[in-house]
Amino acid sequence: MSAPFYKYGLFNDEVSLIVAVFIGLGFGFFLERAGFGNGRKLAAQFYFTDMTVLKVMFTAIVTAMVGVYYLSIFGFLDLSLVYVTPTNLVPQITGGLILGIGFVIGGYCPGTACVSASTGRYDGWAYVAGLFAGILFFGEVFHLFEKFYTSTAMGKVTLPQLFHLPYGLMVFLVCIMALGAFAAAEWGEKKMAAKKED
Amino acid sequence: MNELTTTRHNELIDPIVHVWGWEIPVYLFLGGLVAGMMIIAGYFFIKGRDEGHECVCYQVPLIGLFLLSLGMLALFLDLEHKAYVWRVYTTFKIKSPMSWGSWILLLVYPALLVNFLLNVPAWIGDRLAFLKIWSQKILAIKNIKRHVGKVNLVLGIMLGIYTGILLSSLGARPLWNSAILGVLFLVSGLSTASALVHMIARDRAESEMLARADNLFLTIELFVFALFFIALLSSTEVQIQSAMLLLTGPFAAVFWVFVILMGILIPLFIQNLSVSHRIKHTPVAPIMVIVGGFVLRLVLVQAGQYSHYLNAHFLK
Amino acid sequence: MTSPQQADGFAPKPYWNPYLSGIGLGLVLLAAFVIMGRGLGASGAFSSVVAYGVQKVAPEHANANAFYAEYLGDGTANPLKDWLVFEVIGVFLGGFISGKIGNRVKGKIEKGPRISSRSRLIYAFLGGGLMAIGAKLARGCTSGQALTGGALLNLGSWAFMISVFIGGYAFAYIMRRQWT
Repeated sequence: MSAPFYKYGLFNDEVSLIVAVFIGLGFGFFLERAGFGNGRKLAAQFYFTDMTVLKVMFTAIVTAMVGVYYLSIFGFLDLSLVYVTPTNLVPQITGGLILGIGFVIGGYCPGTACVSASTGRYDGWAYVAGLFAGILFFGEVFHLFEKFYTSTAMGKVTLPQLFHLPYGLMVFLVCIMALGAFAAAEWGEKKMAAKKED
Repeated sequence: MNELTTTRHNELIDPIVHVWGWEIPVYLFLGGLVAGMMIIAGYFFIKGRDEGHECVCYQVPLIGLFLLSLGMLALFLDLEHKAYVWRVYTTFKIKSPMSWGSWILLLVYPALLVNFLLNVPAWIGDRLAFLKIWSQKILAIKNIKRHVGKVNLVLGIMLGIYTGILLSSLGARPLWNSAILGVLFLVSGLSTASALVHMIARDRAESEMLARADNLFLTIELFVFALFFIALLSSTEVQIQSAMLLLTGPFAAVFWVFVILMGILIPLFIQNLSVSHRIKHTPVAPIMVIVGGFVLRLVLVQAGQYSHYLNAHFLK
Repeated sequence: MTSPQQADGFAPKPYWNPYLSGIGLGLVLLAAFVIMGRGLGASGAFSSVVAYGVQKVAPEHANANAFYAEYLGDGTANPLKDWLVFEVIGVFLGGFISGKIGNRVKGKIEKGPRISSRSRLIYAFLGGGLMAIGAKLARGCTSGQALTGGALLNLGSWAFMISVFIGGYAFAYIMRRQWT
């Protein structure tokens, strides 16, 4: 085991910030390459005209998931040291629904809004301003629903644990699912394009 | 009654020096910027690029005077005994960089003024008619533009180097105590000045030439940084520790991200593409260079105050 | 249609193939796991900035608030010297560089043809606010939860991701005037 490098003390906290900028740089670069600095392209996902969001997201998830799987079974990456957010099922589902609604209204998610703003889109800047306002609002009324926020705490639960499946099989199933989603997305896009021509 | 203490009882120097806040970095930055602008204007005069009134070398002096005065104001704000500021000019100490600096600045002002008078902009000349008369008198002198150019060049280089020497003469701060600091500040001043003058230049060819010059200065700056660190790292443990303050220590994130990456590497990359007409030109790269130049001064002043001979173990 | 960019010979280049950008994004995420032992994020950085701002304005109020306190740390370090804050600086830079190379940096508003610019900006602001609340409830946004947790097969992240799509599709019809 030699990774995660940071957890094995290869560099200090200060240097980790420099690493952060470079990782963010790659993140922002590929987001923009995919067209995620454009709110219309992102929102098109919800009107079935352009399924780029789904394609990019699932490709990214599958790539990273398969990479993590192989690196961990080869003994290079210590998976127990990789941070996994604990699950609070109900608040997370609620948050997801709110976030989805906000996505269609605002046109971005926090990460893509940064890319949109840095490529000069004014709606991206308005969105970022909204983010600050929303967080401030959340912070100020936090005490009202702190109980809800911490409800249904399940600790760290992963899908293989939940379904009692081997890790490798779960990875395989997600890959199959992603391939199915890609096929459906391509088919849907063609269908929508044909409908437009009519 | 005065309390008897021997040492380490000054809130400004214990546990680390933090005597200098934002004022000195602002002054060093603006001083370097104006120095770079004078060198550029001087070069244009000597090269005879001053035909017509479009040459940016006629816009430099007014902006230079303004920026330098802002810098002097910052410096003045930093003074503990403001009423005694005139005393600096009652003496000249050959070994004191402060003294040198004060006198250089005293020469820079008239030099910029003469440069300004070579071509008084209409909006000022119409209101202050006597400036036009002076301007005509000065222009009557033979070869005046070449002379102004030479004076600009020499004073610019002196001012640029002096902003670094001011810090490096402080032997008690191992990070600053490097002769390369003068060169570093000069080159950084040149790169920020090229970026600024590039943005204000009206002539397209001139503007493009300055963008190219900026790329050159940024590249040189990277090499000077390398030399600066090699010199520190190959010295004693104290110097190594002070270099580590910037390389991996408490100032590393700001230094690498805001000075090296955002202040040099990214603008260099973008400007390289735009001068070769591969992408559209926008003022983002030059602005990044200028901000990076300021953060460089800020971080060097802060880290320098942090670096110390006695607590050189602080990183371990 | 001729935009000013095309007039001076700098037409925006087309976006990359989504699968190619997806692989790139996945490799960046994998690098984050391998180098840092954590995933990507975005909303956390904004929380740090807000918590820092509140602390500057009203220090006692900020320290008494459990939500802000989480981002303020123990007071020994500047809250802005945070991993996610620096990562988001990188996102801005990376997006800018990519947009710049592709001639896609341009001051404009992305919207459908049936909505005014002003309404679009108001919607963007409201959407951002709503998204912030959702992301805070879910302990992360599309990058922190869906991408990162998705790749780690985290239960909460997958539940979150599915609800994002449900919420989006449920509201898409209401918002159709903005985009189509």
